Amino acid sequence: MIAIDRIHKAFGATQVLKGVSLEVAAGEVVCLIGPSGSGKSTVLRCINGLESYDSGTITIHGQTVDVRRSDIHALRTRVGMVFQRFNLFPHRTVLENVMEGPVFVKGESRAEARQHAQALLEKVGLAEKQAAYPTQLSGGQQQRVAIARALAMRPEAILFDEPTSALDPELVGDVLTVMRDLAAEGMTMVVVTHEMSFAKEVADRVCFLYGGQIVEEGTASRVLSAPQNARTQDFLRRVLDH
Amino acid sequence: MAYADIAAFFPILLKGAVVTVQITLGALLLSTVLGLLLALMKRSPLTPVSALAGTFINVIRGLPIIVQLFYIYFVIPELGIDLSAFQASIIGLGIAYSAYQAENFRAGIEAVDSGQIEAAKSIGMKSALIMRRVVLPQAIRIALPPYGNTAVMILKDSSLASTITVAEMTRAGQLIAASTFQNTTVYTMVALMYLALSLPLIFGVNRLERFFARSRQGADQ
Repeated sequence: MIAIDRIHKAFGATQVLKGVSLEVAAGEVVCLIGPSGSGKSTVLRCINGLESYDSGTITIHGQTVDVRRSDIHALRTRVGMVFQRFNLFPHRTVLENVMEGPVFVKGESRAEARQHAQALLEKVGLAEKQAAYPTQLSGGQQQRVAIARALAMRPEAILFDEPTSALDPELVGDVLTVMRDLAAEGMTMVVVTHEMSFAKEVADRVCFLYGGQIVEEGTASRVLSAPQNARTQDFLRRVLDH
Repeated sequence: MAYADIAAFFPILLKGAVVTVQITLGALLLSTVLGLLLALMKRSPLTPVSALAGTFINVIRGLPIIVQLFYIYFVIPELGIDLSAFQASIIGLGIAYSAYQAENFRAGIEAVDSGQIEAAKSIGMKSALIMRRVVLPQAIRIALPPYGNTAVMILKDSSLASTITVAEMTRAGQLIAASTFQNTTVYTMVALMYLALSLPLIFGVNRLERFFARSRQGADQ
């Protein structure tokens, strides 16, 4: 469904992606792991065109992702994104945050959008918070609203950019539960994460990035339990030790 | 300071105060619309558009407001456009303050967290919709305190309209003082009446500011 073919990207003189290739099939859950600065978030942001890439190609169902093309907006409605810092709209209620895309981008009727939004909030366990403003919620609750907001567009895939990194440890569980449920329902997911236990349990495939390249890739159990590459071994030792 | 004098002057000054308020509101509205337009133009990716807005803002900021008023009141009619002194004062102050309003709005727009724009993009919004639904509502809250200060400045500078014969409060005061020589009484009254208009405005802005601060608390998390 998502096909990334040898993309390169530089920020000024710094080469952050050096020929990353990755295929994600429909219904697959792929986790991108690696040290900070390895380029994993950049890969994710290139998939929905929040970042441009210098060379190579990214396609979604055969349609090229190109920031300069006018079809980028329509493409983004098909691939949702959940951010590390939630990025909910602070001036709108929880329900309005979830309804915003369906009503103003897709042109759904308010009644239809409200019904769907309420069902999604129910699904992420926040039905009773629909009238609250984001600032009245905990980080974990905000992130679950952000997931509902992405789901409201009925996307074919969702990108998660370190969705639990900004959360207090005791709030991580609820967010991961929602993500686990989504994976079980067959949602296509690409997840940049430091949650190794989540990756091990949920991911069909794990890619380890280092220095702008995927240096190791395979099933979660293979990469996380029996890594071949020295960099992966070193990284996992650090992450699992702390 | 005789009470009889105060009672006699007050209705005249009050009439002037009504004109002062009308000029202030008119100029505030015009400067808001023009300022927003200039702020958006200045952020345009098209260089001629942003350069035009930038040049306009600099020229306006570089001119004394009183000169702009004279220009609009005395020069524009020579081009065949008839303006009353009242209209000229609103247009002059509105244009003069649009440059400051543009800077208020620009600062507000730029203060909106970039994550907000990314989130809006990620649900497929195009830039005009992002501006309308996501950026401006938040930018306006951020720009509100400087906007309120600008409103207070417009109120005070509406007194400049007296120089182009508009019978607003300062002009009314001048006329009474010139005919009665009760300078102390008249100008004390004028000063107090300006405070009666500006202090509620200042307090109102402070309250709104606190209200918005509460509702977007931790908005940047």
